Amino acid sequence: MKVATHSIKKLFAVGILMVYATISFAQEAPSLTDPEVASVAVIANQIDISYAEIALKKSKNKEILEFANRMVTDHNAVIKQAVDLVTKLSVTPKENAVGSSLLEEAENTRKKLRKAGKKKFDKLYIDNEVAYHKAVIGAVKGLLIPESDNKELKSLLEAVLPALEAHLGHAEMVQKGLHSY
Amino acid sequence: MRKKRILVALILVFLGISLSYAQRTPVKHVVEIKKLKFIPAEITVQKGDTIVWINKDFFPHDVAKFKDKSWQSSPLQQGESWAKVISKTEDYFCTLHVVMKGKIIVKD
Repeated sequence: MKVATHSIKKLFAVGILMVYATISFAQEAPSLTDPEVASVAVIANQIDISYAEIALKKSKNKEILEFANRMVTDHNAVIKQAVDLVTKLSVTPKENAVGSSLLEEAENTRKKLRKAGKKKFDKLYIDNEVAYHKAVIGAVKGLLIPESDNKELKSLLEAVLPALEAHLGHAEMVQKGLHSY
Repeated sequence: MRKKRILVALILVFLGISLSYAQRTPVKHVVEIKKLKFIPAEITVQKGDTIVWINKDFFPHDVAKFKDKSWQSSPLQQGESWAKVISKTEDYFCTLHVVMKGKIIVKD
């Protein structure tokens, strides 16, 4: 029963990432090694930084700019922790299907963000941030943490979760403000 | 006999003043900032006490009056701390992670 619940959680986590990425590369949850988990974690953070960098160039909205700056600072802090850890563990992050799919979809999203007119950009950006953080929180909880064997890697992912949840709360506040105009 | 009574009364008054003074000695309280939370999130102190906030996260945080930021710390990196003498009941938050909130209650 416990195994079944675990599998359902994994499927759910992968499912929401796939919905976000609009991909359908597998019906079963992938099995990831620690180097692959580390790679996905770093990629997920890099992707959000890339969205924030576009926002910092295109937006004039104070709340959007503050949020984007926060994403750059916090996700860089997570990447630094991850790099320090894999260096300490002598592990090389390994490319994998989950990371590749995320990168592919991120490129599509960046194209949409770059194309968006000034009036639509802020809402597009913050709507994407809400969806992206929901997807990543689900994936960290349901896939990356369960798939991590190394205790320190698992612990780092667990430490990142509250930040992702705080980012989601912040994004939803900004979203509510924008949609009330 | 009368002198003794006066002396005892004076000692009692002195002890009372000393006790009262001791009760008003400011106390230092610590609030940890950990996993994007103020711990404890609600703290009860006496007027004149000091609260020290210590950032245990690897993310930067600050501490500011909710919501007008009439007082605010600079950003605290991991391991850094900031202290404030408390004069009244106030809500506060982290301006960098706006969902992080705390409350200071001053008890008379």
